[in-house]
Amino acid sequence: MSTRLTPVRIADDIFEMRADTPRQAQKLASALRAEEMVEDVVAGLASVCIKFNPRQQDKIADWLGAFALSPKDNESAAAPLTIDIRYGGADGPDFAMICEALSLSPEALIAMHTDQNHIVEMIGFTPGFAYISGLPDQAKVPRLSNPRSRVPAGSVGISAAFTGIYSLAGPGGWPLIGRTAQTLFDPDAETPFLLQPGQRLKFKAV
Amino acid sequence: MPYSGPADPLSMALANRLVGNAISSTCLEITYGGFEAEIEAACSIALAGADGGARVSGRDASFHRTLHLQPGDTLSLTPPVNGARSYLAIHSGFQAAEQFRSTSTYLPAGIGGHEGRALRMGDVLRSIEAGLFASTLETPETLRPVMTHQFALRACESAETKLLNPEGQRILFSETFTIGRQATRMGLALTGHELGLDSDGMMKSAPVFPGTIQCPPSGVPIVLSCDAQTTGGYPRIAGVARCDRHLLGQIRPGDQVRLLRRTPDAAVEDYQRKQSYFADWLDRGF
Repeated sequence: MSTRLTPVRIADDIFEMRADTPRQAQKLASALRAEEMVEDVVAGLASVCIKFNPRQQDKIADWLGAFALSPKDNESAAAPLTIDIRYGGADGPDFAMICEALSLSPEALIAMHTDQNHIVEMIGFTPGFAYISGLPDQAKVPRLSNPRSRVPAGSVGISAAFTGIYSLAGPGGWPLIGRTAQTLFDPDAETPFLLQPGQRLKFKAV
Repeated sequence: MPYSGPADPLSMALANRLVGNAISSTCLEITYGGFEAEIEAACSIALAGADGGARVSGRDASFHRTLHLQPGDTLSLTPPVNGARSYLAIHSGFQAAEQFRSTSTYLPAGIGGHEGRALRMGDVLRSIEAGLFASTLETPETLRPVMTHQFALRACESAETKLLNPEGQRILFSETFTIGRQATRMGLALTGHELGLDSDGMMKSAPVFPGTIQCPPSGVPIVLSCDAQTTGGYPRIAGVARCDRHLLGQIRPGDQVRLLRRTPDAAVEDYQRKQSYFADWLDRGF
């Protein structure tokens, strides 16, 4: 079975294509990256964008129109990786606000986060920033209405029933519940990013 | 990985052109001037971008011209009043750490460039090859970008433009915005008009690019620049067209910005027109 693409032009040099699931978006992005004409390919949670030189727009449109994606799963069979998290306090400045928004005690919020199996659905934002599924649907927390200009590296946030982990310091709009001391990005390592799409995770309170 | 690279690729290309380099050879990007260097070996350099004045060993030196420097010379840049970033190119390019197939310094990750960080007093920089460039060139007058405090940026509607209410859409493409205090390589806030948005803040994170304009629930749009994240969860209400993205690197806090609405096809024509305007001088584009 193959998937037909319906590209939507969202800028003069960018097409966006819908994907049903984050994993499908990752698969589609990998397939599109193989094409040299494309300047950049970025996967979101529900779509993939390609950036192209406008001089090649007709060729790109023809190629996308004829593109067919064959299914192949990228979920890792490896054992889950445990991430140690210090919840609340200065490490999680929005912890109390989230407890209130979800009507949960601090213990119940931590239990909700640590009892589940999680999976990295996407790496994006800044290098190594992981979007992680696994939270129950009731954990729907909106993003901050004013993003912070600086979030410390290792910060753990939740938003819209996803967990997000910031590998690097930088601006960020996710409400923060805690922080991990583990190294998430090492530019000199063979694999600079600790977290990869498909990686299974467990969270542990420390 | 984010794009990183120069915030104003046109000015960097113009600087490289004057010392015989490929347009993307490694340059220094100097933000808000205030730069001094001692020259230890003869070299050919060129300056482009925001021009607050340059001096070589105390004498005025010009932007947009090849400068041949001798050991013992000093080079200094005065902070510019218009524009934010100046580009210093050296014949053969600067030596720099290459990571992820780029020598750009990406500060949020501390990679590339010179030890992955901004330059500090006492740093020693080297060109890839020793020696002077055999020619002395000047950028043609008509091709020198004029630095200003007022920008008109051509822009296209994006995936979530329709989440703005009709008044928000009207304001976005017709009113003048003031750039907020934070104007960085990550992004620039468009302040002065809060846009009404029909969004619950629950959008699924979607791809964003340099030039994408996001609108958080606060209603204050943010234009993403070269160090922008690769995905974002705020509605993408517009995108600065490719032809004008190089200008994002020269916008300062307090500058005035207007967005001129273009269809994608019209924006492509604008891009091709701008590229052909520079084509005789920058034969590989910018």
